[in-house]
Amino acid sequence: MTVQAIVKPNTYFDSVSLMSLSTKANQIDGVEQAIIAMGTEMNKEVMKNVGLMTPEVEVAKSSDLIIVVKAETDDLCESAFMSIDELFTKKDTSKGKSEIKYSTIASAAQGIPEANLAVIAVNGAYAPREARKALENNLHVMLFSDNVSIEDEIELKKLAHEKGLLMMGPDCGTAIIGNVALCFANAVRKGSIGIVGASGTGSQEVSVRIHEFGCGITQMIGTGGRDLREEIGGIMMLDGIKALEEDEATKVIVLISKPPAPSVEEKVLAQIKQCKKPVVVWFVGGNEEKVKQAGGHFAKMSKEAALKAVLLAGAEENKLNKRALNIPLIEEVRAKLTPEQKYIRGLFSGGTLCDEAMHTAMEKFDNVYSNIQRDPNYRLKDKNISQDHTFIDFGDDEFTQGKPHPMIDPSTRISRFIQEAKDPSVGVIVMDFVLGYGAHEDPVGAMLPAIMEVKQLAEQEGRHLEIIGYVLGTELDPQNLEEQVEKLLAAGVTRASSNQNAGLLAREFVVKGE
Amino acid sequence: MSKINELFNQKLNVINVGIESFKDDLLMQNTEVTHLEWTPPGRGNPDLIAALDLLDDPAIIEKIEAANKLAVERIINSQPVLIGFEKAIDCVPGMTKTTILHAGPPITWDKMNGPMRGAVTGAIVFEGLAKDLEEAAHLAASGEITFSPCHEHNCVGSMAGVTSASMYMHIVENKTYGNLAYTNLSEQLSKILRMGANDQSVIDRLIWMRDVFGPILSEAMKLNPDGIDLRLMLAQALHMGDECHNRNVAGTTLLIQALTPNILKTDFSMDQKIDVFEFVASSDYFSGPTWMALAKCALDAAHGIENSTIVTTMARNGTEFGIRVSGMAGNTWFTGPAQKVIGPMFAGYKPEDSGLDIGDSAITETYGIGGFAMATAPAIVALVGGTIEDAIGYSTNMKEITTSENPNVTIPLLNFMGIPTGIDVRKVVQTGILPIINTAIAHKEAGIGMIGAGITHPPVEAYEKALLALSENIK
Amino acid sequence: MSGDLGFIERINISSLTGFVHSTFRRTINIQCKENGELFTIASSQVDNGPNSLVINAASLDEFNIDVNEAVFVKNKMLFISNKLAIVIDKADKWESILPEYPSNTQNVIRNIKKMKEYIDNHGKAGGMKKKLSSQSPYETELSRLLEERTILLEKELLNNRLAHALQHAVSLIGLGPGLTPSGDDFLVGLFTTINLRNSPLYSQQSFCEEVVQRAKPLTNEISYMALKKASIGKVRESIIHLVHSILYGKESDLYLSLNKVLNIGSSSGTDIALGLICGLEANLRVGGQL
Repeated sequence: MTVQAIVKPNTYFDSVSLMSLSTKANQIDGVEQAIIAMGTEMNKEVMKNVGLMTPEVEVAKSSDLIIVVKAETDDLCESAFMSIDELFTKKDTSKGKSEIKYSTIASAAQGIPEANLAVIAVNGAYAPREARKALENNLHVMLFSDNVSIEDEIELKKLAHEKGLLMMGPDCGTAIIGNVALCFANAVRKGSIGIVGASGTGSQEVSVRIHEFGCGITQMIGTGGRDLREEIGGIMMLDGIKALEEDEATKVIVLISKPPAPSVEEKVLAQIKQCKKPVVVWFVGGNEEKVKQAGGHFAKMSKEAALKAVLLAGAEENKLNKRALNIPLIEEVRAKLTPEQKYIRGLFSGGTLCDEAMHTAMEKFDNVYSNIQRDPNYRLKDKNISQDHTFIDFGDDEFTQGKPHPMIDPSTRISRFIQEAKDPSVGVIVMDFVLGYGAHEDPVGAMLPAIMEVKQLAEQEGRHLEIIGYVLGTELDPQNLEEQVEKLLAAGVTRASSNQNAGLLAREFVVKGE
Repeated sequence: MSKINELFNQKLNVINVGIESFKDDLLMQNTEVTHLEWTPPGRGNPDLIAALDLLDDPAIIEKIEAANKLAVERIINSQPVLIGFEKAIDCVPGMTKTTILHAGPPITWDKMNGPMRGAVTGAIVFEGLAKDLEEAAHLAASGEITFSPCHEHNCVGSMAGVTSASMYMHIVENKTYGNLAYTNLSEQLSKILRMGANDQSVIDRLIWMRDVFGPILSEAMKLNPDGIDLRLMLAQALHMGDECHNRNVAGTTLLIQALTPNILKTDFSMDQKIDVFEFVASSDYFSGPTWMALAKCALDAAHGIENSTIVTTMARNGTEFGIRVSGMAGNTWFTGPAQKVIGPMFAGYKPEDSGLDIGDSAITETYGIGGFAMATAPAIVALVGGTIEDAIGYSTNMKEITTSENPNVTIPLLNFMGIPTGIDVRKVVQTGILPIINTAIAHKEAGIGMIGAGITHPPVEAYEKALLALSENIK
Repeated sequence: MSGDLGFIERINISSLTGFVHSTFRRTINIQCKENGELFTIASSQVDNGPNSLVINAASLDEFNIDVNEAVFVKNKMLFISNKLAIVIDKADKWESILPEYPSNTQNVIRNIKKMKEYIDNHGKAGGMKKKLSSQSPYETELSRLLEERTILLEKELLNNRLAHALQHAVSLIGLGPGLTPSGDDFLVGLFTTINLRNSPLYSQQSFCEEVVQRAKPLTNEISYMALKKASIGKVRESIIHLVHSILYGKESDLYLSLNKVLNIGSSSGTDIALGLICGLEANLRVGGQL
């Protein structure tokens, strides 16, 4: 065993670089121990204590960087120094590279060896090719683009599965990886709950509720909306569950989706059954029994899913503010509405948010129509004309053709809102306002003039128009949550504390004669 | 640990493609992110994307990569050496007394532009095949003259590239692979045959070059049996601030310095020798053609490698821009319309006076110098109309469409990065980044000459056609 | 753009010449000839701090500034050779001012508990926080010494015997990995709490200065500057925010500001945070509330 040292006089590297150099130096073949540290008296003392003192180190000053290597032979020490020197120079060359512009995923992946994820948001016609390039270059992929064929999706997901990579999407708008929000996601606390979601705004809602309950997220994996269809077979969700199961930081797993195809549901339930960690399942409109049989924790609604997850993660129930429904308010609003004001109009920018509110209404009413109703009998004949209780997802393809998503561009929803407000059969309008990265910088502000306008109109006509607003966001989001809520309240809008409550309030407000 | 779990434990480092605001959101979260300068591959054309996809098949990629590796190796390992000067009729394969070689892909008289016609008629008069320009034009149209691209005769020609039987040629030998390449001598100045000028002063100069200049150079090289290692000299010239297409100050000095002792040793008169030195000193361009021959010599060695997608020729005849690709052996040209050259004009001329891009000189860019090595020549950034950063940017940008770097010829300013080498048709179509070409501008009318210099790009169609052909050809 | 009030004034009266002492991606240190102190030019990604000027550039790499290049002031502009000129007249002035120690310490006691848990989960090990995974003999010895010496220091502090604490504090200087050794970072945190006005230990401020007087030969200049400034209560903005959150903030404020501090350097942030906890607990004890 031999110990050799090199002293670099007056050399300063930042701590993060020193740490990473030190870690890498210890991984060099043949090195038993390598130390890269400032040559202070105290550090020298530690070296002396463990027999790593050399004459060079003895005379080093506190402003010198010392590199000590312990290895079997002198030759090994020498070659280790050479490798360490390379590590230092590598840092230098990376300096100049920040200026370089890349045009392809392949060249960027080659030029930035640390790159580990590609976010792809290009026209669907080009998206599969770019995603494939990313996977081939061993990058995890978040594919935001939609209009990708199911065949391409299968191919990409199979490739990713073979390579052990994430293939989030196509049409994946939400993910949180390593506490970093990707595309449309909210800033939430780091914690111990992992989410795999096929529904973007559903995942956002649950992550925000978990945050509000004082807990946090480890990872939130998006799968894209079609992952649980027969053809895809839930490849990403199954891989996601597995990864979260193996992730040490994750204590509880939450799954969010529309009800899966039967064959896929079977696979997912089988995986839940053998999963060592508790799994909360919120399949919007899904079946409780099967989930229970598989040992999963069923949630019918979003807040319920978040609540089950935080309790399983160890939160104390009696300390949580569950934000129960405001029953006196319901009575108050019912009294204000005339018998003719019978209907709910839900105008949503988030698909799953719309779906949840719609299912809530469907529990009490038969005549619930929507552009996203699965039963064709209840699908709107004309998406521009509402019928009885109507819930509209403005993020659905037919509204976004050639237009940005309503979470970015609220214009379509604003004009529809005015139209609905003029309808005397409408009792309550319920709307979501989504905050977070990627979303509009002031969604409430954009709607505010329209709200003022219709409130005035209704007043002139002598009717009460009830508007429920739900702001999906956390106090850590780039937009100011508090300010958004205040704007709503100032405009006389009823604020719902969660999407679940928004749906329930809307329904209860228009229930007649209970 | 699975790769997904590895990701959970790493610091996120994102490559962002498409919507740029996602990049800003990531920066806001202190996450490393690189936004791609992305455009739809093949300009979004489904046929081209399909062709790219075909070539993306793993088995095919393997073939292409192997072929391209070989092609680039041959470009890099080529060692072109100047071994002599002879009359075209005595050395150029396929040359006859009534043959006129021209720049670019094949073209007929009726399609030639002004400068090309000016050069052709001037050359016919110079060769004594017609008594004046009018008769020469008649002869050119008659079918008696054989027109053929320089490139199809192991030659290159700058600007119009017009090369006739009694013009003196550089002879460059590839010491590594044995092939030869030729190009004629610089006429210096601006009112010259290759730029389309053809009055008596132009013809007289050509005669002097044939009777004095050429023979002296030829004699001098006979006294130098080792020849002159052009690659070594090129590397030196780049380190001295040339990019060896539009700036040749250093290269010309080095070349004439190497020739001088032997010129002095020849039996010509002192006055004739002085004329030669004064002629060389009259323009920096003397070594310009020399580098073209070097590039041609190296690239010919890489042509005709099955499955290779490396470009071995870029050339323009003033009407069309043509490329050849290694994997399409022989004289398969892929063409598109010649482009405008944008750059500063000589006093008194306007952009609308410009002839379209012309000449075989883009062989230098094909090799990796000229516009590709712009970072070596900060002195001529004015040509690009930009800053030194822009110039450096051109060189690094070209790495996106090339295969390798040539370690023998380096760019000091870029930390001695080798020149970007081996343009890959696939990468050009995929990225939409076109090769950058430094070049001169000839007046669009016959008989006037050079009126400026600037930069241009090939037409993307040439690359798209080549890609489609390759995708059919490589199985 | 923003900067330390003292630094800006120094530029305004043209009393700064010197040379570049060290360069990093996000900071450049300048050694000032007039008073020998280090001043820092920081990129926009860094927070305000004593003797620091934060400029509107994400990275300082692009200026290609080398060590030993000349630094001078002319016409109220700060020049580094011919590579960087900083106009300071639009800079926001910032001053390091620590909050007052509260009379009601319930919040402090609760937040310290939360902070400890958070650091247990999310703090960076390798310095003051022990690494759980396998370690080399050097690392084992290092953490043994760090632990042993902090325990001794804490004991004396809790018993308000600062004279005895001195030697233990000094024994931490220069000990540990990183550019600013962990021991130094811990002391920066500790000094901060001793400098809180109205705190039980506030009267013992001279302790910090005594430690610093002995520190110069024991650590490098960059770390020494941080210690020296902390000894008179001058610390980075992120540390001030954290102290404020601990003393007066809600849980969410605490985690936000704590996270920012934990992100300083490699283990530096964690070491500083643990120093804060140590000092605050000593304050609580001395003040009779723990």
